[in-house]
Amino acid sequence: MDRDLNQHTHWAPPEGFHPVDSQVPGVIVYAPMPEQTDIDRAVSYACPNCGANTGYNVAAGGVACEYCGYVAPVNAERVGRSAQDFEFTLETLAQARQGWGTQRQVLHCDSCGADLSMPAGALTTACAFCASNQVNIISIPQETLRPRFLVPFKIPPEATVPRAKAWLGKGWYHPDALAGNTILRRFYGIYLPFWTFNTRVEAKWQAEVGYQKTERHYNAHQKRWETRTRTVWKWENGRVHLNIEDLLVSGSAPKHLSHRILNQLHPFHLGDLVTYTPDFLAGWQAQAYETTLTDAWEIGKRTIREKAKKACYERIQSNQVRNFSMSADFNDETWCYILLPVYLAAYRYEGQVYQVMINGQTGAVAGNKPVAWWKIWLAIAAILAPGALLVLIGLLLTLLGGVGIIAITFGIILFVIGVIISFSLYQHARKSEAQ
Amino acid sequence: MADPIPTAEIISEDQTLWHTNRQPAGCPHCHRVYLVPTDYRGGTCPLCRLGTLEAQPAVVRRADPERVLPFKITRGDLGSIFQRFVAGVWIKPPEFNPEALLRNTRAVFWPLWLVDSDVTGGWQMEAGFDYQVESAKEVYSGGGWQSHKQIETRVRWEPRVGHIVTRVDNVVTPALEEHNNRMQMIGTYPLECGLDFDPALLGGAYLELPDLPPEAAWPLAQPDFDKAVAKICQQAAGAQHIREFISQAQFANQNWTEFFLPMYATHYTDDEGQPQVVIVNGISGAIQGPRLASRQRGNKIARITAAVAGGLFLLALIGLLLTAVFPPAALIGGLVGFLGIAAAILAIIIAIWPGQWNRAQTNPHIVKRP
Repeated sequence: MDRDLNQHTHWAPPEGFHPVDSQVPGVIVYAPMPEQTDIDRAVSYACPNCGANTGYNVAAGGVACEYCGYVAPVNAERVGRSAQDFEFTLETLAQARQGWGTQRQVLHCDSCGADLSMPAGALTTACAFCASNQVNIISIPQETLRPRFLVPFKIPPEATVPRAKAWLGKGWYHPDALAGNTILRRFYGIYLPFWTFNTRVEAKWQAEVGYQKTERHYNAHQKRWETRTRTVWKWENGRVHLNIEDLLVSGSAPKHLSHRILNQLHPFHLGDLVTYTPDFLAGWQAQAYETTLTDAWEIGKRTIREKAKKACYERIQSNQVRNFSMSADFNDETWCYILLPVYLAAYRYEGQVYQVMINGQTGAVAGNKPVAWWKIWLAIAAILAPGALLVLIGLLLTLLGGVGIIAITFGIILFVIGVIISFSLYQHARKSEAQ
Repeated sequence: MADPIPTAEIISEDQTLWHTNRQPAGCPHCHRVYLVPTDYRGGTCPLCRLGTLEAQPAVVRRADPERVLPFKITRGDLGSIFQRFVAGVWIKPPEFNPEALLRNTRAVFWPLWLVDSDVTGGWQMEAGFDYQVESAKEVYSGGGWQSHKQIETRVRWEPRVGHIVTRVDNVVTPALEEHNNRMQMIGTYPLECGLDFDPALLGGAYLELPDLPPEAAWPLAQPDFDKAVAKICQQAAGAQHIREFISQAQFANQNWTEFFLPMYATHYTDDEGQPQVVIVNGISGAIQGPRLASRQRGNKIARITAAVAGGLFLLALIGLLLTAVFPPAALIGGLVGFLGIAAAILAIIIAIWPGQWNRAQTNPHIVKRP
């Protein structure tokens, strides 16, 4: 064995390789060293010039000190839609099923030396003793399940309140006080977790499709030729190929965040994805996923299979379909865990809490708004009134022996139209107010 | 470093070798060299059947052979093998029969090299590791969805480099120029069933000696060594697959020994009096050799058949002539004439068939050597 070791010493591995276990004596094996990134350490942000707290500044496009003006550019690569994605390996799925757990984690502040406690799902915090921003990603239990890419904030915080006010002021059936200055004071910028999924779907379908056929036949009883229409059912089948790219599924739990509002913030332009670096998170909040990869993939699969079903139906040349069945084979499924920028705010109105969100990339606003129901009822009354009035006039004219039937007919038509519009308006108002 | 490839020595014709009472003898016709008991000298070469074995020096490694694969097929088994071999040949040469083939059978051991060597050097490759991914299949039927999971195995390729210091033993290498030809003819052998060399295992068989000395066989051995090194490195890396394997290995302290494989050789004589050699794998019983038909016998039978046809034509002519006095004779004459035509066709077929059959016998010939 000594002879072996001596003979091995005449050989040197290439740079960037490190020794790994060999299963055969006398053979040494080297593998490429794993990539070391900034992700692997917890980072504290303090200004090297004045020692003040620093954070990512949207306008400056780097980590900036608001006191002395120091700006450090962020070293991240824009990868866009070519961001690396990952396969559903059994190993990853087993890890993903474990989730995050509920324990709090301890983060050491490099700035003042304090030990900070932070919730398990949080990726950032501010030190309670020195107020420095902390970004911690190392305590994520699974290497593969940490965020690799993010879309940085493009909308600066100071632009959020005016956008929200403009949004709140829209719509005549909301309280006039909403557009006031005091409702919304501050938005919190937060990076929210999202899963993206890619797959190719090969769908095969078959169904009985009904076609209307008009034919002439001789009616023996009535002794005459007649025309009749009947449905001819034919079995048909086909294939559909579907490419699903970057299907977004939120990684936040619905109990904390309204997914209905969140979905209204779409689209996010994933062409702006950059490689993850903690600099982007400095001074911002960031949330780790609560919906696990496996749960998110179940949600994604449900969406994808419905898309595939819809695509199959679109191939059918008739509206009459029965005994439809299909199978959708998913191929080359991949996933990626990313962070997307969202501003969150909540406001109270008449004791009720309403949520507002702003897409931190595009500036799109969505949320709940209270409804001034008296305006709605007044509008409904105004919409129904002409029809009701016309019916009444028509009745009077009929009683007086006039031609009231025409007014009654028009009145009923107007009333029905009014009911439809009123119902739509009511639904719209309910939706706006709904949490 | 010592010369990595050992050389063979010249053994004079009166020397015995490998703790046997055998001495070298060669065939002046095919130039094969055997190690045989002294009384075999003067006999016919078992593999070409054209030359007489004469005492001559041999170039061979003095070290004892390493392994011998004993015969599994006995002479008793050969009868049925030869029976099946001759069946299907319609007009055979007189000597082409199981009895004659059995009578002419000689047992022969033919050699392989077993090469051992120290291997030292760097290597690099792409190592393939199997991993499994889960894939989905969604089925919609009866108004509801059913989810099915499918597991697929994929390969992840990663670079690996390293250094090897080991000894690789028993790499099998051809020891005869006609190694591949012979393997192609009678198939492979279960080398793992070989026994340590013992002169008692040889019985009365001829021992064919290598005609590829180590220095000539090394270029054939090296690719197999590279494969063995690749396999060891794959095992060391724990990889299920490899590709792009490159080795800078040095080979030293080589040891070359013989591994003898069992074979039967027999022959029959064809029309021209030439011996046609047939060989049989001593383990599997696979048999190979030309299965010639006899053109001479074919011509003889064809001539007899043609004469019969001529007689029948004559009778048919007489029958036709008699028609004037005896009208039914036309029918008999016509029938006999038809038989005559059939006999004539048969005669042609018999004359042609042996030549056609022999042309289809494209088996590699055992006897011919440069």
